[in-house]
Amino acid sequence: MPDPAISIRNLTKVYPIPFKRERVTAVHDLTLSVEPGQVYGLLGPNGSGKSTTMKVLLGLVPASSGSTQIFGRDSALVASHEEVGYLPENPYFYKYLTGEETLRFYGKLCGLSGSALRDRARDLLKLVGLENAADRRLGGYSKGMLQRIGLAQALVQEPRLLVLDEPTAGVDPAGSREIRDLILEFKSRGMTILLCSHLLGQVQEICDRVGILHNGRLVREGALESLIAIENQTQLIFENASPDLLARFEAEAAACGARLVEKTKPHTTLERFFLEVTK
Amino acid sequence: MKRIVIVLVALLVFGAAKFPLEKSIHDAHRAAYFHGATLNLTLREQIGQGAFLAALSGFRGVIADILSLQANEAWENTQWSRVLFLYNQITTLQPRLTLSWEMGAWYMAFDAAQAALDDPKQPRQALREKARREFIQQGRELLEQGIRNNPDRYVLYNRLGFVLMHKTNDHLGASQAYAKAAEFPDCMGYEKRFAAYELSLVPGKEAEAYALLLQLYRKEERAPAPKLLSRIKAMEEKLNIPPEQRVCKPPGRPQ
Amino acid sequence: MNTQTLQPRHQVFSPARVSAIASNTLLELIRQKVFYFLLIFALVLIGASFFMGFLRPELQFQVMKDVSLGAMSVFTWLLAVLATAMLLPKDIEERTLYTILAKPVPRFEYLLGKLLGVLLLLAISTVVMSGMFAATLYLKEQITIAGAIQESKLTDPAQIAEVVRNIKASTFSWSLVPGVIAIYLKAAIFAALTLLISTFASSWIFTIVVSVAVYLIGHLVPVAREYAESGGGAWFARDLCGLIARLFPDLQLFNLVDDIVAGNAIATGIFLQTVGLGCLYVAVYTWLAYLMFAKKEL
Repeated sequence: MPDPAISIRNLTKVYPIPFKRERVTAVHDLTLSVEPGQVYGLLGPNGSGKSTTMKVLLGLVPASSGSTQIFGRDSALVASHEEVGYLPENPYFYKYLTGEETLRFYGKLCGLSGSALRDRARDLLKLVGLENAADRRLGGYSKGMLQRIGLAQALVQEPRLLVLDEPTAGVDPAGSREIRDLILEFKSRGMTILLCSHLLGQVQEICDRVGILHNGRLVREGALESLIAIENQTQLIFENASPDLLARFEAEAAACGARLVEKTKPHTTLERFFLEVTK
Repeated sequence: MKRIVIVLVALLVFGAAKFPLEKSIHDAHRAAYFHGATLNLTLREQIGQGAFLAALSGFRGVIADILSLQANEAWENTQWSRVLFLYNQITTLQPRLTLSWEMGAWYMAFDAAQAALDDPKQPRQALREKARREFIQQGRELLEQGIRNNPDRYVLYNRLGFVLMHKTNDHLGASQAYAKAAEFPDCMGYEKRFAAYELSLVPGKEAEAYALLLQLYRKEERAPAPKLLSRIKAMEEKLNIPPEQRVCKPPGRPQ
Repeated sequence: MNTQTLQPRHQVFSPARVSAIASNTLLELIRQKVFYFLLIFALVLIGASFFMGFLRPELQFQVMKDVSLGAMSVFTWLLAVLATAMLLPKDIEERTLYTILAKPVPRFEYLLGKLLGVLLLLAISTVVMSGMFAATLYLKEQITIAGAIQESKLTDPAQIAEVVRNIKASTFSWSLVPGVIAIYLKAAIFAALTLLISTFASSWIFTIVVSVAVYLIGHLVPVAREYAESGGGAWFARDLCGLIARLFPDLQLFNLVDDIVAGNAIATGIFLQTVGLGCLYVAVYTWLAYLMFAKKEL
């Protein structure tokens, strides 16, 4: 049986407060796992421990106790980072580098070189739609372009796991849609993705499973569909139904002991409406 | 916090290990005449805190140059005490710069001494002479201190010989200075002769001087200098050398 | 997208990774236009060379060498401290460090790469400044020789050669090269020390202030060492001086230009010992920086 992409067991992270005897427990006894090929949404309000969990997973911060593994390898080991691509929240990268230079820099850090590196950089720039901005310095990139170059550097060594922290934060709806489409494409190629986002609508569109952290603890976790389905309610949407037909359905439901909770017109999403209007 | 303590301890352990190494390298530098400047409180009072800090931080040369510019101005204004004061600081900062010792000594032994002798504000001849001798002595002391800091260089011995020869009656001192300069392979070449000339002027040293002069005479490849011949002649007469053994035959005898 | 696995097996230590970070650091500093300070250095050279005409020639060259080498010393030290102080804090604040350490890059390689980038920058600056200094010295020498021959109206070739020889004796000498290398070494020590301080400093201002303090105290180490070993004075004063002499680097050992310009020359054996000491300091400070950075919570 293949190792889980991410395996977190009993992870606890405690931060001491300097010059005081108190301590802050950022993550308390967290256990979760992400199977290969899944898109996992890690959610929670600010200060819930999401960023800390990601940092421990990426070896940026040591765990106080517990273990974290990436494809069966201790994630504190540098070698485990070969399998991981990471896009932090609001990254800046090096403003004085061009798009292509940035990707070549990160490629060299992953052991790539020569024509393989050059070709890889060009492929990634094309993938994220930045081939026309390859020679422009990152200082002149928009927020959306920075996020896309960030995605590209995360992919440079073809990782099996992608960790994305707020990948669409601050990006306009069109750019946000493009990034979301890219993530869906990675998903279709079998990449495992750990996603942190406050944009719950997007999480709902992309993720297979979600875990919700609150005050450092995992309060709910599971497949998305089963978490958000209201078990004792059924939704039917009719098109071109006459008022007569609707009245008959209501009467039948009442006769069987069911209660009509809501009768409204379905809505499109603001995003779809916006894109229709602005295209 | 724990890591900072570990780093501090590691720094102390490293410090204990590097202490003897630094000391040995420092001693080797000092033996090669590096870091000879005496940067003490006296100097700090003289040149001020800012300049002292700059001198400590590796800008001794620049501070010495600034003082040289001030000394140049003082020289132009014939402020001889200030010239001496500044050259004491300059040579303290740059003890290995022979030019500073030379210039300070020249200004004292020649310029200041002559100015003292010609001082229109001093009507008494005896006092003018006394001031002149004091300035010459200060020039001499500067050169002697310079030699203590630069025993490995010929130039200050040469200059000391020059000052003593031209400004004092210390012929023995002048001879010894020139003789010392002559020991260096890069000396000017005339120091050995000058040492012999000066020695010949010292009462009681005629035999020694005569031997040196003869040595020089026999080494001469071309016609000997008139002064060499005149000193040989003087020594031969003083020592009553038999005529047939003399280099400079008395009149009437064939050469 | 090519699905073929591209990356080779993980190397525990990779010179290629270190070199990528070093060249990136150098590029960052160059594109931030740090080399503009060379313009100021050029102005200093011109001022020191051509505005001292009222002094005698030997003194003019003396002033020129002292001022130029003094400027070189302060510029390289300043460059070392300022270029290094911001490296880590900037990467942490802009989260660029996370993207680098999320790659298979050990923290030691990251630090070493950053330091090597700064050392390369210092080396280039030192070489360029030395070239500018040598060129200006040569130009000044030629102008002085031409002027001296014209003024003296000499025609005898032997006498002209004597004039030329005397002037050249005051200008360039190969013994200046060890002095310049010592200037570079001092700056390198400060680059490593500043890197160490930046691993635990709360702000870059603190880093710079501590580096300046070490610069001043380091030049007093010989005085402290002498006092500690003198046997005189109060015991606590002697012990404090002994502690200072052990904790801080003896920076006077790297101040060779003052005495070299005054005519000293340093023997190869002693010079190599001094270089070895400088390299030891760089290595120890870098290793201590790694100790601090290895488990730093980012």
